[in-house]
Amino acid sequence: MGVRTGMPLGAAHRLAPEATFLDPDPAADAAAMEAALDRLAGFSPGLAAETDATRPGFGRVEVQLDGLERLWGPEPLIVSRIGEALAGFLPGPPLAGIGGTRFAAAVAAALAVSGAVSGAVSGAVALHVVEPGADAGFLAPLPAAMLSRDPEVRARLDRFGLRVIGRVAELPRSAIVARFGPEGEWLHARARGEETDPFRPRRAPERLAMSLPIDPSVSDVEGLRFVLHRLAAAFGDQLEALGAATARARLTLELDRSFAAGDVPASMTIDQPLPEPTSEGLAIERLLMARLEAAPPRAPVARVELELGDVAPAAGTQLSLFTPQTGRTGRLGWQLVRLGLRFGEERVGWMEIEDSEAALAEARWRWRRGPSSVANAPAPDRAAPSGRAAAPRLARPGGGATSVARHRSAP
Amino acid sequence: MTTPPPSVQAALSSLRERWGGAAPHWGGEVVGALAVAPRPSPAIDPEGPPVAPGHLPASPDRAISTGFRALDAILGLGGLPRSATTALHGDGTCGKTTLALQAVARAQAAGGIVAYLDLARSLDPVEAVARGVQLDWLVVLTPGSLDEALAMAAMLLQDRTVDLLLLDLPSWSPDGVGISVSKLAERFNRLAALARRAGVQMLVLEPPRLPSVLAGALTQVAALRLELSRRAWIRLGRDVVGQRTEVRVARDRFGPPGRAAELRILYAEGGLRDVCLTRGELLGENASGSVGRLGIAGRAGIVPLAGVAPPGRSRPMTPTSAAWPSPTLLITTLPVPDDATSPSSLAPPSPAPGPQQSLRAVRGSADRSGRQAVDERLRSGREQVGARVGRPDRDAARGGP
Amino acid sequence: MTRLLREHPSIDVELGSDGEPIAFRWNGRRERIEVCNRWRVEESWWSRPIARDYFKVAGGSWLALLYLDRVDWTWHLERLYD
Repeated sequence: MGVRTGMPLGAAHRLAPEATFLDPDPAADAAAMEAALDRLAGFSPGLAAETDATRPGFGRVEVQLDGLERLWGPEPLIVSRIGEALAGFLPGPPLAGIGGTRFAAAVAAALAVSGAVSGAVSGAVALHVVEPGADAGFLAPLPAAMLSRDPEVRARLDRFGLRVIGRVAELPRSAIVARFGPEGEWLHARARGEETDPFRPRRAPERLAMSLPIDPSVSDVEGLRFVLHRLAAAFGDQLEALGAATARARLTLELDRSFAAGDVPASMTIDQPLPEPTSEGLAIERLLMARLEAAPPRAPVARVELELGDVAPAAGTQLSLFTPQTGRTGRLGWQLVRLGLRFGEERVGWMEIEDSEAALAEARWRWRRGPSSVANAPAPDRAAPSGRAAAPRLARPGGGATSVARHRSAP
Repeated sequence: MTTPPPSVQAALSSLRERWGGAAPHWGGEVVGALAVAPRPSPAIDPEGPPVAPGHLPASPDRAISTGFRALDAILGLGGLPRSATTALHGDGTCGKTTLALQAVARAQAAGGIVAYLDLARSLDPVEAVARGVQLDWLVVLTPGSLDEALAMAAMLLQDRTVDLLLLDLPSWSPDGVGISVSKLAERFNRLAALARRAGVQMLVLEPPRLPSVLAGALTQVAALRLELSRRAWIRLGRDVVGQRTEVRVARDRFGPPGRAAELRILYAEGGLRDVCLTRGELLGENASGSVGRLGIAGRAGIVPLAGVAPPGRSRPMTPTSAAWPSPTLLITTLPVPDDATSPSSLAPPSPAPGPQQSLRAVRGSADRSGRQAVDERLRSGREQVGARVGRPDRDAARGGP
Repeated sequence: MTRLLREHPSIDVELGSDGEPIAFRWNGRRERIEVCNRWRVEESWWSRPIARDYFKVAGGSWLALLYLDRVDWTWHLERLYD
């Protein structure tokens, strides 16, 4: 609507006469949002929202509706129930949009408020619904400037005569990329009704950490392998018991600088995202060892701490029965991460066809670089959690003090 | 004389418009144009082993079809051996890359994942897709040196994460190696042994003029070594659209060496012209290595190459022309005569009825059918290597400048 | 199957009296060639104008695709048929 932070109140009133303007109270706003989200958690496990009242985007809540119809009824009815649930937390009736992508849903909600599109009023909620599969068609006649907040991108779109989203969608992707760079791919996909920003539900990640002292300190990387193996194996057991998987490993090495040169740091840290969530200790160990071999510590190691982050319930995946390669992508992914670590990520990748009819041969295809690209491949089948409710079994490596911590990180 | 189909008539008309008297004519007897190769008469190769339907090699568990029936027929296992190393050797445009990519497509069709060590930095994914390769299951590695390539290969083999490893060696240059030649040879030996133990198929594209130590090592480790040499260009009018290649079995641990087969490899580039590739009587040959300007009977000097249109949808170029599009890479399915490799053998076969597997077609071409290069093999026993296809070289007779 | 030389290496080209390529030198070897097809590609974008004259050539060893970059007037090797 054009209302911006710092704008005079009178100007804001003129732009949005129906809006209610409140005195700023970020703490209270954030608390209200948290309370609202807690209430919404009763409707859907898939929630995302900006909870910092000073940030743009505050006030928008995303709710994943997939599969909820059996519980709550048709989508407009769900929205109506959500509106009722939020009535006590919001200063006014919310505005809602339903779409196949985050962008389409946000645009639908924005347009519902202005009345630019016809919308049902579900209870107290102004709502616009984009039918499944119709996102591209819904977006097509809308201004292309809506694709990006960046004023420079908007100006370029205008300069190229791309005034509506449909025009951007019609052009070959290679043409957009040639003119907008890598961002062009994102713009093009967004215009075509493809998801560009995967939904990341709000949830409190859990961290697992364990450390071991090494006495005497170890100088060679092979010596570290033994210690790392014990830690990784212990975590693997723990994750299995939880029915969980981790997506990130952090290895911290405390260095013994007694006889080292002056510029050797006190510790060395390796942060390693994993190609896919896993509970396999051996896989984590091999990946971290590859990092250590590529960049060994500069002094003997006196203590090793392994921390696993982004721990979440392991998910099962339906495998395609007719693509025999699919079940092996997980293992391939790990292999390629190790190749990338050792030889450089730019050495490993896939090729993709961009536009087979482009006039120049070099414009017809592109690289999908880096082992992380394999994360887009279907994950191998993994059993869903068995529902065991037992407390995690904490495997204690023998010898020396250990610390086991389970932190529930603040959101 | 039979009347050509309307599409061929249109193509011939277009060629006549561009090339005038140099254009091929329909009718079997050609006047004022390049010679026409008679269509080979289909005959069963009397020397080859019976080939299973659908181009399956005689031992499908032990070998991958090359995609050329005549070549499969002379190989001990009826194809390229799994769990062993095959070396393809040849200079210049000989067809070894085509053969390798067809093997990749077949390995993938059988459920395999392929790693391509692209030392030569020349893999064309559009062409690969046209040959039936699935890019989703083709990992491409671009090592900085041969030493690095072998290290990458060793890692892949140790973990057994791929089924076929293709090592595309570039033209030999000592600067791009990284270690001594003798050490390289040792590494090759170890790599081949690792591949055997891991049950991974390895395919090496061997360039010419390797140091003898290295060439020797490759010869030793390869369970199958094929030597490819081009025998003739295949022309459509003036354009060179393919080649006739002889493939000789230099070594075969699973069968007798010394046998040979001839392959016809054609390069489709999209558009109306490709229809003509399916009509053998429109194609001509001249001996490989003959270079010189084409003269036209009855004219003195050289016919300048003006107004020759690129294939596909573009128009002839004149000195003052505006921009013309390059040859399109439309994906089209060509009608294939009986004696050519059928498109279904070129593309990965559909494994079973049911939900579509996630084969990725060329993006942006959702409304275009698949392009296939038309590969034609000679199955006539009369045309085994050693017997030249009998037709005088008319270009030599016409003479050049 | 063609190989796409991703770096489009520069080559030395000899021209005949009619201005058409008759030979090129690459990787230390000279290859006498015959032009069997040619076309032009032009793309005029403010960021990077492209103007190339492509020549499909057949020689003793290779069937190849060369082009003359009409922006900086250099010759390049784009493809090798194999």
